[in-house]
Amino acid sequence: MTTMTETTMRHTLTTPTDRTIRVERIFDATRDRVWRAYTEPALVAQWWGRGNKLVIEKLEVERGGHWRFVEHADGETHGFEGRFLEVTPQDRIARTFEWDGMPGYTIRETAEFTDLGDGRTRVVSTSLFFTPEERDGMLHSGMEGGMALSYAALDRLLANSRD
Amino acid sequence: MVQYSSDLDSVFTAVADGTRRGILERLGRRQASISELAEQFDMTLTGMKKHVQLLEDAGLVRTQKVGRVRTCSLGTRRLTAEAAWIAKYHQMVEAQLDSLGEFLERTKGDQP
Repeated sequence: MTTMTETTMRHTLTTPTDRTIRVERIFDATRDRVWRAYTEPALVAQWWGRGNKLVIEKLEVERGGHWRFVEHADGETHGFEGRFLEVTPQDRIARTFEWDGMPGYTIRETAEFTDLGDGRTRVVSTSLFFTPEERDGMLHSGMEGGMALSYAALDRLLANSRD
Repeated sequence: MVQYSSDLDSVFTAVADGTRRGILERLGRRQASISELAEQFDMTLTGMKKHVQLLEDAGLVRTQKVGRVRTCSLGTRRLTAEAAWIAKYHQMVEAQLDSLGEFLERTKGDQP
């Protein structure tokens, strides 16, 4: 048995379409705790970096809001960022994800939270990959305005002192 | 300067599978014959040939037949970088959920 098989068993990993990664996990924690772990900066900083130092530069959990995390590992710095496309409290988050190291390769990440009624919570994480060409197509089909608006909002926020 | 391929579907398909990511990782260290790979991944020769064919179609692996032995090595660097990113992202998501599980366990019973 290979390591990969063990990983697969632990995460119930499936690939519904060629360019989608779907990972499902059940946590022994209430949905409220899981939701807060995903949305409160001080909590995100404690797990998202997988043990690496993580700086939450921006986490605006609302539709159109920006997020940007910087991870410090082995003397290297990696930035990740995107925009929230959908935020339904306790239920569902959809956002774009881009790594500074692969600019243009946008991933659409969705996390769905289900209260299993016994104190446990199921999280289904789905990631859909876009090529730079497709990403550009999205921009030209109306997302551009939204992007510009968000950048303006980001500039305003950056101008203000950080809480 | 990096040229990005406009046809990445085959790359995504190729790296969507755990065994194929393992093959890429293995070939990243050293080239191998199909039978060596089949043995290492505990798979039939036919099964391994299919995986290698998919990787070859995506340009991630190239093969060369000398006599009766087909030797596999990594394909072009450009496609490998994209495949590596997807594989890395995949691993990252899995590791993050592990980490989240540990965090939730660790903070159980903490005041909000």
